[in-house]
Amino acid sequence: MAEMWISMGPQHPMTHGLWTLKVKVDGETIVDADPELGYLHRSVEKMGERRKYFMNTTLTDRLCYASATTWTHCYTHSVEELMNVEVPVRAQYIRTIMLELQRLASHLMWAGAYMPDLGHITGALYFWRDRELFLNLLELPSGSRLLYNYVRIGGVKRDLPVGFEGKTERILKLFEQRLDEYADLFENSKIFRMRTDDVGKFTADQAKNLGITGPNLRGCGTKFDLRKHDTYEIYEEIDWDISTREAGPGYSDCFSRYMVRIDEMKESVRIIRDCFKKMPAGPTMASDVPVRAQGEAFRRTEDSRGEAMMYVVGDGSDRPYRWKIKSPMFTTISACPHYLKGYKLADVPAIMGSIDICIGETDK
Amino acid sequence: MSLFSVCRSMAEWTATNLLIPVFNFQAGLFPPFSNPAGSIADWLETDGGLNTLAWTYAVNIAFMIGMTNLILVIHLERKIAARIQDRRGPMLSLRSFRELGEDLAGEAPTWKFKDNYSGIGIVQNMVDGIKAITKELIVPAKADRFLFTMGPVIFISSSVFLLVLFPLSDRFAASSAPAGLMVIMAAFSIAPIGVLTSGWASNNKYSMIGGMRSAAQLMSYEIPLLLSMAGVFLLAGSFDPVTIVEQQQEGTWFFGLPMWNFIPQFIGFVVFMICILAEVERVPFDLPEAEAELVEGWTTEYSGIRFMFFLMAEYIRGFAGAAVATILFLGGWAGPWPVPPEIWFLIKVYLIIIFWIFIRWSVPRIRTDQILELGWKKLLPLSLINILIVIFMVEIYPYFSDIVNLPEVF
Amino acid sequence: MNIDEFMQELSASKGVSNISKIRENVVKLDLSREDSQDFFIGIKSDFEHCSLISAIDNQPDFELVYHFSCIDNSIVVEDSDFAVMLEVHVYLKRESPSIDSISNIWFGANWHEREAFDLMGIYFIGHPDLRRVLLPEGFAGHPLRKDYVYEIHEEEW
Repeated sequence: MAEMWISMGPQHPMTHGLWTLKVKVDGETIVDADPELGYLHRSVEKMGERRKYFMNTTLTDRLCYASATTWTHCYTHSVEELMNVEVPVRAQYIRTIMLELQRLASHLMWAGAYMPDLGHITGALYFWRDRELFLNLLELPSGSRLLYNYVRIGGVKRDLPVGFEGKTERILKLFEQRLDEYADLFENSKIFRMRTDDVGKFTADQAKNLGITGPNLRGCGTKFDLRKHDTYEIYEEIDWDISTREAGPGYSDCFSRYMVRIDEMKESVRIIRDCFKKMPAGPTMASDVPVRAQGEAFRRTEDSRGEAMMYVVGDGSDRPYRWKIKSPMFTTISACPHYLKGYKLADVPAIMGSIDICIGETDK
Repeated sequence: MSLFSVCRSMAEWTATNLLIPVFNFQAGLFPPFSNPAGSIADWLETDGGLNTLAWTYAVNIAFMIGMTNLILVIHLERKIAARIQDRRGPMLSLRSFRELGEDLAGEAPTWKFKDNYSGIGIVQNMVDGIKAITKELIVPAKADRFLFTMGPVIFISSSVFLLVLFPLSDRFAASSAPAGLMVIMAAFSIAPIGVLTSGWASNNKYSMIGGMRSAAQLMSYEIPLLLSMAGVFLLAGSFDPVTIVEQQQEGTWFFGLPMWNFIPQFIGFVVFMICILAEVERVPFDLPEAEAELVEGWTTEYSGIRFMFFLMAEYIRGFAGAAVATILFLGGWAGPWPVPPEIWFLIKVYLIIIFWIFIRWSVPRIRTDQILELGWKKLLPLSLINILIVIFMVEIYPYFSDIVNLPEVF
Repeated sequence: MNIDEFMQELSASKGVSNISKIRENVVKLDLSREDSQDFFIGIKSDFEHCSLISAIDNQPDFELVYHFSCIDNSIVVEDSDFAVMLEVHVYLKRESPSIDSISNIWFGANWHEREAFDLMGIYFIGHPDLRRVLLPEGFAGHPLRKDYVYEIHEEEW
């Protein structure tokens, strides 16, 4: 059979978002790939130039809707650097807790979307059932299940409700038990290993050159996590470890990337517990947040999917002059010919699922 | 008191009271309405005519029983899948009609969801059937119309043919072919033609790839399937289901339980179960129709009743595969009194089907090249080893029985 | 290597001016357009990850901001875990906004440069495949420029 281009998408059950992946196959083996984006481009950067600084937090939630708090936090962190605002300590603890809860919800969403790609529909329902627990938790302080607008410039919108710590502890205990149960169903399952071992390999050096960061890079064995290496909020006071896995010396495959995220979920549980132990009382919002800003600033944070950066330029007015968003998935998707070549067509969902794509942040 | 005798008496009754008077009346009319009615009435009075009528009734009864079982299998699958996934499954039942009536009449509902919502959900299947029938039949513009229509026809007709071929007990048989099981396996093997035809005639790259993958998988699993059955055929000495079940009644082991074939033929049993799962294309072997990669694979372009044919045919083949497994390895319809043997047969078939449902919803899919590797490299040698063991035990061991004393397995 | 030594080394490079340090782990400098390619080839061994390429429209000229990050700890800030970043500003004239592409040095810069071309109209000489990435192919204009006027086009659906 001759080589032909097969277009997966934009309407496709597998693609986790609205984009087109064209693969060139020779029989069953992939020879080339050509991704196309832009279906979800909402010109967030241009819109941000028209709105005032504090109005943009609603836009940033919608950048990656599966992991909304981390993007809002990246924006507010950059703007606080620009405006020289000091966030009170209690607000930093609350932000850390919300970020880690959001990371758990985002990883559970990814896992629940990854399982049906491999054919395991029960896995989807189990992971999304657990995600419901965390969405209910996130609803309590902020009032919304998916797009929170909770992290504001200078702190958080309001304090945690009474009883939040007890509820969180109960849910975390239940969640840990469930993760242990799922190990039998997923990691120790022979067929799951057959589908994900030695599939979608790339080395750490390739990843750094290609611009891949986050759990995908940690799956290659590189110990690099922005929460430790460019630390922000209160992460340096908390007792936690970076989780890395590798499929072999210096390279990753789908299974190691899967296991890295499961390990990260366990670490998030640890971080939340530690935060509750150490959290002081105090104000939750800075007392003087200016309205105008001048200069330029950038900050990078560890999003659920990689390194998220926001570069904000102010010209002295109350609206940003230029606001640039960096999404980790932008470069990862651009590199897809490198980790798709040589594998079979049936591996494409397994590989693209393990990369954890969210098109909202890619298309801005 | 067998199915055939019941049908024969039914045939005699209907022939004498209904059909022959009608045909005789028709012979009295003027031509061209009269020919060949007279000869039909004469033929119906002979033995051959009555036998034909009896077999027609028998086949219809077997077909209706098969279709009822099909609805039950589909319903079981949805409910058990739902319970595995921590949800309830289809809940539409006769109670829902009452609810709908109340709603349309504008009255307050008489039952609350929390109190008593024990609907069994069997009406959902009927509703799905109506939905499938009322959808538009779309044929793609550049598709080969004739082959597009013929693909599902081949597929469903070979599957429905399977329903009447296996006996539910030694007295409930709608087919009396002496090579019964070979005919069943031959009917199983017609399916790849239907798959390839549908995949190719859709004029769609995805469907073509899916059809070829599916045909490759089906054809490469035929061989270990037939070889694993060959062990049972050698033991029993014939292809006839009745003989095979009788043979399993001889020989006992612990506590006087009869030695059904899955114990001496354990390797054959395992190989057969894996191969029949691949033949009926259930998870973990259902990549050709996988949703994630090629939308629906070789059935992408089909809509309405044609798509329903594919689904029904898949479940019918699953049912027939489980029935063959029961006859060959699990003792067929043998079971203690007072439960009638037909019910024993159905119980065993449903146990196998429930086992398959559990596997389907607990396990991811295997990739096509891994499936083919499994079939050719691992199952084929195993089934050959199985045949060698059988040949050894049946033919060679009796000559040595006074020298070596192996446990009395056969 | 320590970050301060690194800053001293860089200030001796050609085309570099205005070196400073933001926070503790970011080195910021201005670079001239002509010496950009040699400079980037020089720092590739230390900074193996190209994080971001932003394009800013300071009326009347353009400004490109490059961010690179060091993952392997070849440059460190003493007594801490901080990863070092480099922020490079290059100024381009409005009449001819073009610069050498760095896609063959860092593959991750490929799509960042495409996006800068797409939304701001900056040409990257030597880029293997410079076409629009976020906007559709037939789109006219570069929206993030400050003088972009949105015209209602007749769409052919």
